[in-house]
Amino acid sequence: MSGLEAYCGEITDKLNCGILLLDVDFKLVMWNQFLEVHANKKLTEISGQSIFSIFPELPQRWFERKVASVVQLGTPSFCSWEQRHHLFELPHTRPITTGSEFMAQNCTFSPIKKNNITEYICILIEDVTDVCYYQSMLKKAMNDLALSNRIDGLTQIFNRKHWEDCLAQEFARAHRYDHKLSLIMFDLDHFKLLNDNYGHQGGDQVLIELAKNVTSMLRLGDVFGRYGGEEFAIILPETDINGASELAGRLQKSINQANIVFQKNCIKTSVSIGVAELDKTDNHYESLISKADVALYKAKSSGRNQFCVSE
Amino acid sequence: MVSSVLICDDSNMARKQVIRSLPEELSTDVTLATNGLEALEVLKNKHIDIMFLDLTMPELDGVGVLQNLKENNSTSCAIFVISADVQPEMQSKVLELGARAFMRKPVQVDVLVKNLQEHGFL
Amino acid sequence: MPFSLDEDQLDCLQELINVAMGQASDQLARYLDTFVFLKVPNIELVNAQEFSKSLTSNNQSTAVVSQGFFGYEGIRGEALLVYQHKDSNHIADLLGYDPDELSDEEQLIDISSILTTTFLNVFASQIENQLSYNAPKLLTSEQDSMSEYLDHLSFSWDIALKVNITYQVTDYSFNCDMILLIPESAIIDIKTVIDRILEAL
Repeated sequence: MSGLEAYCGEITDKLNCGILLLDVDFKLVMWNQFLEVHANKKLTEISGQSIFSIFPELPQRWFERKVASVVQLGTPSFCSWEQRHHLFELPHTRPITTGSEFMAQNCTFSPIKKNNITEYICILIEDVTDVCYYQSMLKKAMNDLALSNRIDGLTQIFNRKHWEDCLAQEFARAHRYDHKLSLIMFDLDHFKLLNDNYGHQGGDQVLIELAKNVTSMLRLGDVFGRYGGEEFAIILPETDINGASELAGRLQKSINQANIVFQKNCIKTSVSIGVAELDKTDNHYESLISKADVALYKAKSSGRNQFCVSE
Repeated sequence: MVSSVLICDDSNMARKQVIRSLPEELSTDVTLATNGLEALEVLKNKHIDIMFLDLTMPELDGVGVLQNLKENNSTSCAIFVISADVQPEMQSKVLELGARAFMRKPVQVDVLVKNLQEHGFL
Repeated sequence: MPFSLDEDQLDCLQELINVAMGQASDQLARYLDTFVFLKVPNIELVNAQEFSKSLTSNNQSTAVVSQGFFGYEGIRGEALLVYQHKDSNHIADLLGYDPDELSDEEQLIDISSILTTTFLNVFASQIENQLSYNAPKLLTSEQDSMSEYLDHLSFSWDIALKVNITYQVTDYSFNCDMILLIPESAIIDIKTVIDRILEAL
């Protein structure tokens, strides 16, 4: 052995990743210290054994097919943690809590050839637990960010843009499959007066409570959003005008009866509600909004604190 | 008597590689074609002893040429296929269609010479 | 374009690619235990910016598997296999797995890696080189990450060599574009080898 080759063994043992050598019959030929330590088995005891008996958790069929591609084609093959979290059940040594007790791994399968024929398969196992963890955190943060782009900061219900996007979708769906769709739009009565009497903070408090109250009265598929400063809207899929009207009635009553506590005051509110149902004449979702709006206006001009149904 | 040769390949470089590999006695009467249709045209108008034929060509590919010649029984020319498509099924197909031999690209001089010898051309 | 190839060089490159394609398909056919029908691979050199834009602006959902390769004498680049979404189904069958043995993503990544590495290995041997590969990565056009990814490759690539490959495998036919993104240094080296080959003719 030349001087350099003598160091190879030492170097592979110092590497912070696993090196595993298999023959074409899936028998373990050699592995390095990393694996000896993490798998907690002695090479001398398991050398020559089938990899599947040393690591029974390996998906055998998949593994065999993967190795076959390496042997036959003489090209490397890869397995990333993003597709399979790990192949070999090795404990990870990270001080952080991750979703799994096992090390996340990136594995590389390489052919070791002699005279252009693959004699051995070298499997490189990289510990990517950190990467996996931070990537998941990043993904979650980005999802939260995306969500915050859809939510109205004050009331924590959908903002107008997202609500309208939802309406566009629901509208298309109802139109396409000929399903029922109704819309409720409502406006806080005398909101300007309320702000004058209790200040903007009072007004905000009213909006927050109102949103919570209404949310508690809706079903899972209903889409509630803040349409304007004191204007709100609800999309009611699979609901006809009767169902929507019934809900509108309950909303009007509940909001009117609610006591909103602000500082030492008890604020009473009411809303004017417009109700409309999708019909054949509506070609765009805007026309549905229009109908509900007209009905809302009618409710306002008829004395407020009531709901009105679009003709 | 000098044998006349036709080289049919859409690649200029591939044609040159064949020319370069031809023994001297076969280099004096060489015609070139860039696709199957051109090759058939040449065969109609000129007597060709040996054709080196590529498979993957536009207009009419090598298999098309072989099929055409087989159906029409119109030529006595010896056809040697030289191709990048080296799958065994393709090799047997061209032999069935009447080619004398199949050679892998890039063509090697000794392989070419050996094939020509085996089929009585040298 | 400073890196344009003349007619002879382009013809030579096309031929090198044909031969690589032929051998790679043969290997693939043996591995898949089927016959692979080969069409003439169409190659073109595309402008880097245009290409970037075309990838991300396509309205159809596209899947891209990207794999870096590197060899001696500065030969390196990124190979992209671009699939239209409809083609990326039923690949598990093709690869010899049960469909529930591996996810759609894994199937696409696996076959892409096989196509890329077998082709590049043969191509490399023809230009007297030997290549190593990075792990393949799947990008989809739905993610904004695709153009960012291309911008942040560890080299600035100057040429996109587009090789359109159509694979027809018995009952399946799928189409993908293989795009080789190559930096200046690598193109110069490839040109040198091409010139050497042409000179020997």
